[in-house]
Amino acid sequence: MEKQRIVDYLIAFLIILSLNFFLPRLLPGDPLTAIYGDDALLSITQEAKEDLAAKMGLDKPLLEQFGIYLNSIFKGDLGYSYYFQSSVQKLLLGTLPWTLLLIVPALFISTILGFIVGLESGWRYGRLFDKRLLTGFMLLNGFPNFLVGISLLLVFSVSLGIFPLAGAVTPYAQLSGIRLLLDILHHLVLPLTALVTAEIAASYLLTRTTVLTVLGEPFILTARAKGIRTVNIKYKHLGRNSLLPVVTRIAVRLGRMFTAVLLIENIFAYPGVGLLIYRAILARDFLVIQGVLFVVAVVILVTNFLLELLYKKIDPRVIEHAY
Amino acid sequence: MKISKRTIILTMIILLLLSLTGCGRENKEKKTVFQEDEVYTIADSTGDWGFPAPYTHYNRGPGYVRMSLIFDTLIWKDKTGSFVGALAQKWEYVEDDTAFVFQLRKDVKWHDGESFTAADVLFTLDYLKEHPYSWSDISLIDRAEALDSHTVKVYLKKAYAPLLANVAGTLPILPRHIYKNINSPLEYTESDALVGTGPFKLVDYNKEHGTYLYAANEDYYLGQPRINKLQFIKIGEQMIPNAVLDGTANTGSIPPELVEQFKAKGLTVLVSDHSWNAKLKFNLQEEPFANKKFRQALAYGIDRKKLVNISQRGHAVIGSPGFIPPDNPWYSSEIEQYDYNPEKARKLLEELGYVLEREFLEKGSKPFTVEILTSGRFSGDAELVKNDLDKLGIKTTVRSMDGKTVDARTTEWSFQLVISGHGGLGGDPAFFNTNVLADTFHSARYKDNQELLSLLNQQLETIDENKRRELLAEIQKIYAIDIPALSLYYPTTYEAMDSKVDLYYTPGGLASGIPIALNKLSFLQ
Repeated sequence: MEKQRIVDYLIAFLIILSLNFFLPRLLPGDPLTAIYGDDALLSITQEAKEDLAAKMGLDKPLLEQFGIYLNSIFKGDLGYSYYFQSSVQKLLLGTLPWTLLLIVPALFISTILGFIVGLESGWRYGRLFDKRLLTGFMLLNGFPNFLVGISLLLVFSVSLGIFPLAGAVTPYAQLSGIRLLLDILHHLVLPLTALVTAEIAASYLLTRTTVLTVLGEPFILTARAKGIRTVNIKYKHLGRNSLLPVVTRIAVRLGRMFTAVLLIENIFAYPGVGLLIYRAILARDFLVIQGVLFVVAVVILVTNFLLELLYKKIDPRVIEHAY
Repeated sequence: MKISKRTIILTMIILLLLSLTGCGRENKEKKTVFQEDEVYTIADSTGDWGFPAPYTHYNRGPGYVRMSLIFDTLIWKDKTGSFVGALAQKWEYVEDDTAFVFQLRKDVKWHDGESFTAADVLFTLDYLKEHPYSWSDISLIDRAEALDSHTVKVYLKKAYAPLLANVAGTLPILPRHIYKNINSPLEYTESDALVGTGPFKLVDYNKEHGTYLYAANEDYYLGQPRINKLQFIKIGEQMIPNAVLDGTANTGSIPPELVEQFKAKGLTVLVSDHSWNAKLKFNLQEEPFANKKFRQALAYGIDRKKLVNISQRGHAVIGSPGFIPPDNPWYSSEIEQYDYNPEKARKLLEELGYVLEREFLEKGSKPFTVEILTSGRFSGDAELVKNDLDKLGIKTTVRSMDGKTVDARTTEWSFQLVISGHGGLGGDPAFFNTNVLADTFHSARYKDNQELLSLLNQQLETIDENKRRELLAEIQKIYAIDIPALSLYYPTTYEAMDSKVDLYYTPGGLASGIPIALNKLSFLQ
């Protein structure tokens, strides 16, 4: 069984690797134009262009480029970006921590909060409390991410002046230790809130729907008949059984969050991979696009794998039914 | 495979911690020591424009400008757009030798204390042969020699007027004692790559955060900068106006709608020059677009003023049929202006054999249809042009695609009409040649008119400014008659600033024509 799973993961990984290489190259436009700009300010000779194309390996046939790409990936080398004038690893090391700093807490907070509220809402199905929450979250679900971000900025940064307008740290403020940490947290509040706000509805709605299904199960009735305390029924019986789809969705949501974070980082000028890939796509910087997508794919695959393990812990039935 | 809950939780915690330590490490790099001195802050929505050494900054205006604070050129433009001495204090053209002689300053020191001499200039020109510099084409330089330790004579293969603006005024001079050891300047980002002669030294550059911190070079030969520190910070485009208002930044670009509000609050609003144009391109390899008369008909039939008023809400200048923007020193008004005249347009179309049948034009009883290819940014313009063409009886459709696709199809001549845009109309008028003759998608690629071709070549070889101006007037006249492409409008951009430093847009742009209000001379006492 385990072998089969690992083979599955390997197949997924190989497909991702190939898509990762070919998709960016299907984009119209070429990376040289992006590097050299397209206006008359520059005077570049054809020779210099060919020189760079050769350095970037663009003069080789696509399949050969693919071979080089696979070879270097397995060597752990993601290449050198001539647009950003830096190795792709270095670019990723500089930006990924900031994105994780946004995504990981956002994922935890939105999942836990969404789960608790969803559970309470489902428990009170049909009552005013449930109806109001449902309307509220449906509304939130339809709200575009960037609108949430801009609104937060307008209210808390522009009008009230409580939070900074942009960035992840105060530039050149010479902070260290606890003050630096506080500065980072201060800058994190708004983008994190925006991301949680954008994400929480999905987790709430899913939990609520699952709770409604589980509520009809005989074991809930049994638990009630046994006179078990409400809190215990809610969280131990109902909660644990409603947790499964929520956990499954985490990996899917993680993938989606990497796209959501693109907009959030743009609005808050937050220095993460979202902004990096945005600029890389504009510049047709294949190596950076590849590098970012590769790392994101690996993060998602690993999370998926971890969640599968977690899943077995929560629901032992999975082990029996698997393969 | 059995993994306990504890292992999973532990892995998650480690991942989180790793991400936190990563962030912490980033910040340790930015150790700067200064107290409350004069810091000037510039807000920018992109932030990162590359390591500000000559070979590593990104090939865009803002990248060059960040480098230009550290490195000097032989000559530079002042507030009026005229050349003033930088590393060279005098220069002249020796016609008999087809050569420029530059007399260098003797009081210049590199940031590391070494003296600047003619050897550095010769080295730089030599270095470029091995490592081409994207901003300066030195292919017309035959050789250079030092007449003495501070005089350089640059011999040309033939007279070449753009040399002053595009080489002497753009090429940063490199320190020989450092760059002679740098073999791959494109990848070299050690701190000694940043030893220049300019008014500022780099203290810190952070790629991820998109921030730059400069300190004044107190020994600068043109005088000490009036501010001690200069920093660029990254702020989202929508938030820049607020950053200027609340003092987070001293200057930043603002949208046209806010201009009046900023003026009312006592801030200065700088108005850009117009070196960027939105352009209607014709497929010159296909009838009827290859026909001059047809292009003229469209020029009369498209209301460019309406484009300015509606699509640009008045914040633009109407396109000149002679291509050069009206506020450019090389502009000539002695050209056919093509004021909106649909009657005249219809007449010209009639002369070409187009007959109006039930509201639409036909030729040889075939309906005449046209497709405008454009990208999102110009789709408003395209719709307005479509309206005008429909009024002439030309059945027009607009096709909007991704910008890069439009460029690719333009390159392949796979279009009828294209509306797109480009900059670079500010610097040396050599840009005229690039935009008419070069084989790039922004160029009209129009080589049919021999007179125009010869005048364009002549203007590059004419060093005398007045003679060159006459040639350019003639060029614009012919261009306006032939209309290989039609400039629709030149948009205006705005920059707001407080009163700390008197910034300005340099007429004709910085160096080879960069339209950014950050001339290093504005920071000097």
